[in-house]
Amino acid sequence: MTVTTKNLPQLYRFCFLMTGDASKAQAAFQDTVREAALRSARDEPPPDRLWFFRDARWRCLALSEQGLQAEPGMMEEAEISPFAPMQIEQLDPDQIGVWISAAPEPQRSAMALFYLDEFTLAELLSLLETKAGEFSDLICSGRRQFQSWLDATTPYYEGETFDAGQV
Amino acid sequence: MPDKSEVLLGCAPITEKPGIDRAMRVAIQRVRHGKKAATFAHQQAFDAAIAKLVHKIPVDAQVAEWFANENLIPVVRRRWKKIVRNPVVIAIALALLVIGGIFAYRVREHLRDFPGADKARRLLTVASSTRSVLLDPLKTDAGALSDLFFLKHRLEHYDVPPEFADFKTLGQRVFDDEEVHRVAQIWAVEKRMQFFMFPAEANPKDGRVEDFSDWRFVELEGWTGAVVQRNGVVFMAAIRGGEKDIKPYLEKKKQ
Repeated sequence: MTVTTKNLPQLYRFCFLMTGDASKAQAAFQDTVREAALRSARDEPPPDRLWFFRDARWRCLALSEQGLQAEPGMMEEAEISPFAPMQIEQLDPDQIGVWISAAPEPQRSAMALFYLDEFTLAELLSLLETKAGEFSDLICSGRRQFQSWLDATTPYYEGETFDAGQV
Repeated sequence: MPDKSEVLLGCAPITEKPGIDRAMRVAIQRVRHGKKAATFAHQQAFDAAIAKLVHKIPVDAQVAEWFANENLIPVVRRRWKKIVRNPVVIAIALALLVIGGIFAYRVREHLRDFPGADKARRLLTVASSTRSVLLDPLKTDAGALSDLFFLKHRLEHYDVPPEFADFKTLGQRVFDDEEVHRVAQIWAVEKRMQFFMFPAEANPKDGRVEDFSDWRFVELEGWTGAVVQRNGVVFMAAIRGGEKDIKPYLEKKKQ
């Protein structure tokens, strides 16, 4: 698949999920696209669309290093609830960005790339330079942790949700 | 420890796209018809809900401007260059080039072929490997050897053509070759040329021997032979080099 500007919204979303901050996401996104344009001008265009996400990933990680870093194994986990889709519906897109960006590496990158719903498993493994077993573990534990967070912040009681943030 | 299908199901695609590998497709099909179908369905619904939420992430207006500029990232149209630079393609192209070259060479060679050309080529290998000590020393004019071949070896019409009749010889011999049969070989002083005379080949269709008086050429491993056929006997003057090295001798006589 060639890279056109049609792919760029996904790249921006990825940057947002990685940083949880619109201004940082914008900076990483713009630097990546600018680098791609410079390479193209030098007749060395990025080889594929994966290049954009690889480049953006490292830029996002560099930007995130300035803040607090999450450590693995610190979050509670819960089994996936059949009501999870209803709970998720109550969330703002910003909240998912904040949650994923707060995850430790490489779980943060794994979840950000996976939930873009853009790549095949082979592409995901190539982007993350990991193996299927490790990637699967990262996603499965991420799901359970997110469910636990959902249960704490947006519990679902038989047909109605309760947003802990509501007054 | 989870088995392979559990590992795959843990990261099953949210929407099924083309390019999903077979192992993943099989794992999904199995779980959908197994005991864990409900759990997997919850997982899929969970993932789909998050993916939907992710797609709702608003894109800043300033960033959106970048999407409008279609020329920002030129579409890569260098596929043919990439293909050409592929070592496998280069290797195949080189192989085809070599095969094509050999084929063209063979076709060209056969276009110029004449009855007895194969025998003449065989004798060029003899010429390239012969040392003068193998021949009986004999210093005379090449044209004078016809009588010797007839009287001593009963070889009729083993005549050296006028173009080479005046050439001084170093030696001669007559030998039997399993394919060419009775061959007379003369070693000349001039440029260490060698002359061969051997029986002409009959046309396999009608059994007739068709002479030719124009000079024809054969080449093999750096040697060239100028061939003419008269009275059912083939004469070949062999020289180390190309056609250009022997042609002057053939033209001299014409003048």
